[in-house]
Amino acid sequence: MTPFELLQPRSFREAIALLDPEDVETRPMAGGTAIMLMMKTGMFRPRQLVSLRGVEASYRRIEVADDGALRIGALTPLAALERSPDVVRHAPVIARTMRRLSNVRVRNVATIGGSLGHADPHMDLPPVLTALGAEVKAIGSAGERTIAVADLITDYYETVLRPDELVAEVRVPAQAGRRTAYIKMTARSADDWPAVGIAISLGGGGDAIEDARVVVSAATARPTRIRAAEEALRGGGDPLAAARRAGEAAAEEAEVIGDAHGSAAYKKQLIRVCVARAAGQALEAPPDDRG
Amino acid sequence: MQVGRSIPRFESRAKVTGRAEYVHNLRLPGMLHAKVFRSVVPHGRIKSIDVGAAAAMEGVHAVCTAADLEGVVESFDYGPAFHDQPLLARGKVRHVGEPVAVVLASDPHVAEEAVHLISAEYDLLPAVYDEVEAAAATVFVHDELKPAGTFPDLKHLAGRKDTNVALDYRLVRGDVEQGFAEADHVLEHTFRTAQVMHVPLEPMVSVADAADGRVTIHTASQSPSFVRSEVARLLGWPENRVRVKVPFLGGGFGAKLYVKLEALVAVLSVKLQRPVRLSLTMEEQFFTISKHATTFRIKSGVTRDGRVIARSCDVWWNGGAYADIGPRVTQKSGFTAAGPYDIDNLRLESFAVYTNRPPAGALRGFGIPQLVWAYECHTDIIARTLGIDPVEFRRRNLLKDGRPQATGTIMQDAAIGAVLERTADRMNWAAPFERGEGSIRRGRGIAIGFKASVAPTTSVAIVNLSGDGSCTLYCSTVDMGQGSDTAMAQIAAEELGIAAESVTVVHPDTDVTPYDMATLGSRSTFHMGNAVRLAAADANARIKAMMDELGMPAGSNVPVADILRRKYGMQAGNIIGTGSFVPRYTSPDHDTGQSDEVTPFWMIGAAGAEVAVDTETGHVRVELLINVADVGQPINPRVVETQLSGAALMQLGFTLFEKMEFDAGGQLTNPSLADYKIPGLHDVPATIINETVDNRQRNGPFGAKGIGETATFGVSPAIANAIEDAVGIRLTDLPMTPEAVFRALHAAGPDALPDT
Repeated sequence: MTPFELLQPRSFREAIALLDPEDVETRPMAGGTAIMLMMKTGMFRPRQLVSLRGVEASYRRIEVADDGALRIGALTPLAALERSPDVVRHAPVIARTMRRLSNVRVRNVATIGGSLGHADPHMDLPPVLTALGAEVKAIGSAGERTIAVADLITDYYETVLRPDELVAEVRVPAQAGRRTAYIKMTARSADDWPAVGIAISLGGGGDAIEDARVVVSAATARPTRIRAAEEALRGGGDPLAAARRAGEAAAEEAEVIGDAHGSAAYKKQLIRVCVARAAGQALEAPPDDRG
Repeated sequence: MQVGRSIPRFESRAKVTGRAEYVHNLRLPGMLHAKVFRSVVPHGRIKSIDVGAAAAMEGVHAVCTAADLEGVVESFDYGPAFHDQPLLARGKVRHVGEPVAVVLASDPHVAEEAVHLISAEYDLLPAVYDEVEAAAATVFVHDELKPAGTFPDLKHLAGRKDTNVALDYRLVRGDVEQGFAEADHVLEHTFRTAQVMHVPLEPMVSVADAADGRVTIHTASQSPSFVRSEVARLLGWPENRVRVKVPFLGGGFGAKLYVKLEALVAVLSVKLQRPVRLSLTMEEQFFTISKHATTFRIKSGVTRDGRVIARSCDVWWNGGAYADIGPRVTQKSGFTAAGPYDIDNLRLESFAVYTNRPPAGALRGFGIPQLVWAYECHTDIIARTLGIDPVEFRRRNLLKDGRPQATGTIMQDAAIGAVLERTADRMNWAAPFERGEGSIRRGRGIAIGFKASVAPTTSVAIVNLSGDGSCTLYCSTVDMGQGSDTAMAQIAAEELGIAAESVTVVHPDTDVTPYDMATLGSRSTFHMGNAVRLAAADANARIKAMMDELGMPAGSNVPVADILRRKYGMQAGNIIGTGSFVPRYTSPDHDTGQSDEVTPFWMIGAAGAEVAVDTETGHVRVELLINVADVGQPINPRVVETQLSGAALMQLGFTLFEKMEFDAGGQLTNPSLADYKIPGLHDVPATIINETVDNRQRNGPFGAKGIGETATFGVSPAIANAIEDAVGIRLTDLPMTPEAVFRALHAAGPDALPDT
């Protein structure tokens, strides 16, 4: 790694002011776990890094809003999500996802905002948050706006965020009895990045699925909702048959790319199996917001 | 009683409180940091190296290429078996990542930045990557073989040209063709293993400090005595002008053997007369040393009733661009390539092959895990073909004490049968086994392997009792996490009749601690253990002699402090005991590989695995892993247990997913922990049992023998055998990734995947 300047602003606004949209060699850094890997390989050689570690404590707070939504500061470390009673109560799938998300050293410093802004498709949280219907509050020099997580990531390492705009908060709406499951399939160690990540959230009571969100990640360039699979899950009938149909539909529709974790053909197979299994798990999961 | 006691490791507190000494923490006044410019091509003649911009960069002290170092040394090329590896590439490069130039600066970041300013041009040469192809190729990695001369049995290779085969080991016993002709069944299979890496979490690091005609090398090395003699040879100096100091290591596993960075930093320091530090990144380690990829063709003739009567073995070892210790691996593991079985007719050939991949050396098992992978998969296939239970089939063929092994050496103190039976017992092998249903199918497998210790090797130790009677132990065994400080103290204490905890162990420092061949191949407990015991016994003899001299009654329990006080009139003096140990050894006959004394002891390890295979995804979950070993008498049972579990988990990674991936152009595509994964906590089998059988190695210290590698032997084939038991497919290549399992499982069916 080659030398760079580390800027340590004391406030979020100050951090944004240090980001120059014209300067691609200056980038923000939250936990730093992803950017350090890019710097070590020489893929990214910054002139300046703007550390967000010193900003106001409010950006690392987890709160439950009056409407039952979880409001999670963008700089909240993943380990805090794992242990938060509010997260466990309102969106337990997030806490469950943490168990095999890398290792405790990474989770102690990596942040929820970073995992979204980084936009590597091999992240576990973006598909989960997409399935939960989460949105982010982004703050930039041009002001503040709300973006659905589903719309945030546009391609491999690409987001709709402007170069001087940062994720400030993640808002997970009240789940109102939705049931959510995430399946992570790795091809190497269990705590590796996923070869395929499948998040499914189901709305409606009992076996009657009124609304389904099926998100495929890691096998695709971005976390992608698979409408055909969602369609297959909706309505009545034998839920396990519906889950299998959803798997077939997802394998058919997803634009799968092969990589070091597996060939495209193998990943399609994993999608077929894991969508069906995740749907089955979601059906059996207790509804969220049960507190 | 000091041996056989699970005393806590001496260094534990220092390690967990961050106080343990590592080379990484060393900073010397005026020290320069070195950064290496590496080849990006696998094979090429160097046309030019442009270091101008780097040398001109502010803060750069010097930039050196091979040409700059030639005048400093008497010999330029190093290596334990062949003098084939240059300090920096000269004339041509032979693998991606080979060091070509080095930048020195007071600021390591400046040195790194300057490396980016260096450029080199090459005339590309055709390259060879596969070990079997390279053995017969017309592209040659080296122009001429240059054996080091250290090993008499490599001398015949000197000057050999137009070959990539660095060693061809051959063993013949009986008449293998006759055996095949008499057999009821003849089966042949080919198995492969992947090139993998040791991944010590402390990357290689060395600091050299040359001044006043001497050089001191602080290094994370498993072989301080070899570093000293080899650096002295390169410089043309006597050994006593080279000092090598080794504190703790953050893991070694064979990666830090022989010369790695030491020669380069020493020569740079001598040239520049400044301390020079070179510390590799985790990424650079992948280009420095690795474990041999192998191809093993094995053929057996068996009788209807389950006796193996003939076996032929051909093993190709992918040594990469430099031989390192590969020729030793090829030969020493070759002794046992036919497995722990009593087979009358054998033919065995083992080839160390140069290729244009990063070099390969020893990795926790000295080649044995690659061999056991093949012969224990093969053995299971034969048992299934004959319809004989795999444990029973092995039982009928095992080598027993008193019988000649393939080399002709008579087996002794080798608890092969006991290890197999204990493994089967712990697996409840005789009981019915639940095989699962639906998409999760369960199976179980067993495998057993053995190893001849690397021989002959020497260890020397000194026991020093001070004026107050307290004991200091001097030995050059490197404690790299295996607990050797504690074990050696226990051995010394047992002989001296004192508490192990009261012994101070001095870490390797070649100005202070005596010679030891190296900390490798599970040799230290046996060899250094014997030397330490002899040193302590020598100290006891000297105490007795002093008592005689002083007219003190023999057998009286007078403290050493009192004897010394009586002798010198005050608290003064020393009792110094020395011990040296080298086992008997007969070099194998060149044509037949036969020897009456090929090893001082045998290591036996078996594994039993129960797996659950997900037939829809190919994932294999190891639910139960049993490791049973013959380690003789354990010196420290708790340390033995952790050595067994550690070795097994390391091999589990090589079994299921670890692999250095190369593209068609010879580029390594995953040289980092981001893309090369080792097992984590979630990969540890739900149940892992580590056991030793009751045995005594009669020539070992207090009945002990080697430990560190034993539990690597059986893991891979036990799991492959369990997979076949579960789902009826046989994988022949490591690693057995989920995709590989899935592809094999659905090779013909509707879910068959297209080739990639």
